[in-house]
Amino acid sequence: MDADTIAPPEPTLIRMEAELAAWLEARAPIAIGFSGGVDSTYLAVTARLALGAGRVLAIIGRSPSYPESQWVAARDVARSFEVPVLELDTAELQDPRYAANPSNRCYYCKTELWSRLVPVAHARGFRAVADGTNADDLSDWRPGAQAAREHGIASPLAELGFTKQQIRDSSRRLGLPTWRQPSSPCLSSRLPYGVEVTSERLKQIERAEAALRALGIAGDLRVRYHEDLARVELSADELPRWLEPPRFADLRDALVATGFRRVALDLRGFRSGSLNVLHGVSA
Amino acid sequence: MTQPERGDPTGRNAEALATAIAELGVPCSLEARGGLAVVMPVLESVAALRAPETRRAVLSLAREHGFTHVAIELPSERRGAGSRENDATLLRD
Repeated sequence: MDADTIAPPEPTLIRMEAELAAWLEARAPIAIGFSGGVDSTYLAVTARLALGAGRVLAIIGRSPSYPESQWVAARDVARSFEVPVLELDTAELQDPRYAANPSNRCYYCKTELWSRLVPVAHARGFRAVADGTNADDLSDWRPGAQAAREHGIASPLAELGFTKQQIRDSSRRLGLPTWRQPSSPCLSSRLPYGVEVTSERLKQIERAEAALRALGIAGDLRVRYHEDLARVELSADELPRWLEPPRFADLRDALVATGFRRVALDLRGFRSGSLNVLHGVSA
Repeated sequence: MTQPERGDPTGRNAEALATAIAELGVPCSLEARGGLAVVMPVLESVAALRAPETRRAVLSLAREHGFTHVAIELPSERRGAGSRENDATLLRD
């Protein structure tokens, strides 16, 4: 879709949006695990519009595994659309099962998140707790989904069949700034399985990705951590210009300044779940 | 200098891949890190990889030689062809 043109909604999507509003009404009041990403922002704002401010609460679980800039953006979008927000701290890095970074690391992270969030939501009178899982997520390797099931978390977007693209289309029509925001999984996803997750490594990755954004790199971007080497995944549009001197030296210098000794550009560019492929983990 | 992974049960062959990439006009050394091939081109040949057909050819060769990922190490501008720093030590799986 052209960036300046908003296409009329497809009848299927109009029906799905109505189904989502009805789904939310039937379960209100509802709390939503809110990261400020594309999916949970769409769900939170839709719930605010459908239910009113008193029957929805967006709960942010703050942790070192998410960049500070993401929380700032989450708070900003919630304020703009008058979505009530509560912020909780989570401590998954203190769980040695998480820190060891097994392939089901997300299970321990989400277990920590939901075990803190759900009791708070219920204590405040919210009957249901939902997350922003979408239909596309169901085909990916997502051990965090098991933790959600164990804590009774509903996933209306997945349940009603919303794909990522449909969520982006609906978000755009709602005027959400997240409609074309790149996907933003947690920083721990940049570490190969088995490499210990530490707050220092997460901070290094956060600084590295921020440094690349400061160079003007747009779109999907990941700095994959390989000890002394940073493997950078860029979108297909961005990759060629960063192979050109002197730009590649700027990119290299920016990452060396964040503590990496060596910098490499992934030749295929951005791939969601790239480290899953590298380590033979699949859905 | 690129060292071969002799007897690698995965079928990965770093030395053969480096030779094949050099034949595309990108002289390089190569370091294998599991399924990741870190290609270390000489400074003057990095720009050759801007061409999409060259990138596609390198990716194809890497797959043929058993690698799932290929990354181009960005050389320091002080580092050129033939310098000691350009020599690579191959890390085994």
